[in-house]
Amino acid sequence: MSSEEHLQETDTEARFEFKKEEASAFKTEKGLTEETIRVISEDKDEPEWMLERRLRALEQFQQMPMPTDWPGQPDLSEVDVDEIVPYIRPDIETRGGAENWEDLPEEIKDTFDKLGIPEAEKNALSGVGAQYESEIVYQNMQEQWEEKGVIFCDMDKAVQEHEELVREYFMTKCVPPSDNKFAALHGAIWSGGSFVYVPEDTTVDMPVQAYFRMNSEGMGQFEHTLIIAEENSEMHYIEGCSAPKYSAFNLHSGGVEVFVKEDAHVQYSTVQNWSKNTYNLNTKRAIVEKNGTMEWVSGSMGSKATMLYPCTILKGPGATDNHITIAFAGEGQNIDTGAKVYHNAPNTKSTIESKSISKDGGRTNYRGLVHIADGAENSSTAVECDALMFDNESTSDTMPYMEIEESKVDVAHEATVGKIGDEDVFYLQSRGLDDDDAKQMIVAGFIEPITEELPIEYAVELNRLIELEMEGSLG
Amino acid sequence: MSTQVHASIDEATVRQISDELDEPEWLLETRLDALSALEEIDFPDVIQTPGRTWTNLEALDYESLVDPLEAAEEKDQIGPDNIDVLSFTDALDEHGDLLEEHFGSVVDPQTNYLTALSTALFTTGTVVYVPEGVDAEDVTIRTTMNSRSLFNYTLVVTEESSSVTVFERQETGDSVDGNRYYSGITEVVAGENSYVQFGNLQDLDETTYTYALKEAVVDTYATASWIDCNIGSHLTKSSVESHLDGDSSETKIVGAFYGHDDQHFDVDARVWHRGEHTTADLVTRGVIDDEARSVYEGVQDVGREAWDTSSYQRENTLMLSDESEADASPKLIINNHDTEASHSATVGQVSAEDMFYMTSRGLGERLAKNMLVEGFYVPVFEEIEVEELREDLKGRIQDRLQSRD
Repeated sequence: MSSEEHLQETDTEARFEFKKEEASAFKTEKGLTEETIRVISEDKDEPEWMLERRLRALEQFQQMPMPTDWPGQPDLSEVDVDEIVPYIRPDIETRGGAENWEDLPEEIKDTFDKLGIPEAEKNALSGVGAQYESEIVYQNMQEQWEEKGVIFCDMDKAVQEHEELVREYFMTKCVPPSDNKFAALHGAIWSGGSFVYVPEDTTVDMPVQAYFRMNSEGMGQFEHTLIIAEENSEMHYIEGCSAPKYSAFNLHSGGVEVFVKEDAHVQYSTVQNWSKNTYNLNTKRAIVEKNGTMEWVSGSMGSKATMLYPCTILKGPGATDNHITIAFAGEGQNIDTGAKVYHNAPNTKSTIESKSISKDGGRTNYRGLVHIADGAENSSTAVECDALMFDNESTSDTMPYMEIEESKVDVAHEATVGKIGDEDVFYLQSRGLDDDDAKQMIVAGFIEPITEELPIEYAVELNRLIELEMEGSLG
Repeated sequence: MSTQVHASIDEATVRQISDELDEPEWLLETRLDALSALEEIDFPDVIQTPGRTWTNLEALDYESLVDPLEAAEEKDQIGPDNIDVLSFTDALDEHGDLLEEHFGSVVDPQTNYLTALSTALFTTGTVVYVPEGVDAEDVTIRTTMNSRSLFNYTLVVTEESSSVTVFERQETGDSVDGNRYYSGITEVVAGENSYVQFGNLQDLDETTYTYALKEAVVDTYATASWIDCNIGSHLTKSSVESHLDGDSSETKIVGAFYGHDDQHFDVDARVWHRGEHTTADLVTRGVIDDEARSVYEGVQDVGREAWDTSSYQRENTLMLSDESEADASPKLIINNHDTEASHSATVGQVSAEDMFYMTSRGLGERLAKNMLVEGFYVPVFEEIEVEELREDLKGRIQDRLQSRD
């Protein structure tokens, strides 16, 4: 089967590009004022402390300048917060997520059907959350996990039902709103997202997934994900995201906080396929205690501009971090991603593996920081960045920063940039593949270290997305 | 530090310097333009990450560090007879047109605040002119700094199919109270199919703040090879840059530093691939001991039209003490896909395995370590073509190792 037929059969494009009529129960005015925030908080019936945190974040947002002077950064001049609709509550009866797909309005159920979420739930997942516009519309987890005390629920619901935990962990220790302008924005108008709590000695052996969908033009989605993995627990969280394309810009500014306690293990995987009018400006951070392990796996395919540097703070001795990222930038896209790791304790270890592909004038940037603090002895870090360029209109930048305050360390950084090898293509062609298929196969091989970290369904999905991106562009 | 009362950085001072050197009108104008630009232009770029600035140049009190009218130095300017190695004033007489053509053409005087300051106030310099087809070796420029501040200028011009190796070094003579400031600008114009190796050893005393910028423009088939060695000074900001404008041009940027006590080295190696079929090889090796700190930035920038580029970069830092700090940022900026580029950077200690091997051969710990550190610089020694530079650098590294506790 040629790649073209294969694509038609899977019809990947149609799966993301459909639009639904806007049907909301509650929608704020455009723009961002104290009033907007009070309205959102009231609509969610939030406790007073959360409103106060939102208002403080708003103040910080208004004081902070836009990032404009990073070399090669995406142009954010179009991002005018006063032009977006920050909060749309979809028209559903159950707040905090229905437990049955059947309970959802037809157009929302149909959306997630087309995205294949219920199907995946049956086969490969421990739990699923689905967010439509600003709120979670579906949330369910297999009973066996609930019995063990695992919590997987809508973030808004967590504010009500797990108030003490949320109050302690929500944007306090990990990602404070003062971290950056978009973290502050997020802190002010966050809505939806997931709260995950895994008790001690519990291994959730199938992944938990959240899927985020923006449907309306000119909206902003600001979901917050908070994961607490207690001692010696293990879990894998996957998020997927998409939106249909509109002419006006959409803004996605999520916040992710992960707490990995002693000996715990968390993997956080993202397959990002926002439409190419979306600005994707996220703040993701994990704090890892003694002998814990954090793994970030990210595939950034969509969006007009992405700025995303998942950060891990290795706080306890023996903590480990692995970053695996892949970025794919086509025409008009600027995918600015990377990784940050702070080694703040002895015997900590990190690896960063970054792969990027740019074509048709797309731009990929790797921006990374590894900091080894004084006293973090016997720590090691290995960073590897590889970039593949398809044509001469594209750009690929690699900008790593290393700050080493400790001498008993092993630090290595490597990067390579190259074009797709004529020799490799020739070899595959001599084995009977045509030019397009040969190049696709080379790209699939290039990103294999990433795809093999994902459950098979997602690996297939990622490969399909890349095939779609490359369709018609080769030769 | 005693309070200093000396001439201020103003137009009268600049006119006086220019007048004493009996300079032509165009140079005075260039100096005055640079002086008036001081108001608007920024300090050299330094790396900033969340909560940290890697080197703070703006904090220095230039008004008290700079004593523009009292510059004093001793200078040797030696070269073979078949080329011209001239003091700046002699060059104004003998090669006035050449200077007017090239002065400021490689390093824009208004690149940043410190280049403008240097252009406005420099009082000494050297011009090396290599005529077409001539091969010359071992041009040697030695500067001994005797005053509070010294602004130096060096220009090397190689005409078509010529070649030259140059060695320049800076050291401190008479002592002064308090801190000192040295600033050096070096321009290299490498003509078609010519070859230049420019080696520099900065060995000023540790009361000195040093700013150095060296840039080369490399024409078709030409090669510019830099050896930038930094041993001295309290704080050093040293940038070496090659502009590969000509097709098939090449550059090597080799760097070495050795920091001890509370020395701070901020070194940059940058290459701009602009012509086709250009090649660059960047190699930096540094050792830091005690509370010393090193900052390295490497940039390999491949332009949109730079087809068939090869560009390689390696940076290795060896940490000898636990209080030292090493920061590094090797960057790739790639706008043409017909490129083979790579970079790597490492930070680490003397390897335990190597130590074990050496001590098992009967060497004492200290000797074994010293040999391994010296050996760490071999990739730099191998590139140096001027014997005196190789011997001086080796000697200074050995001195540093001997003086370790």
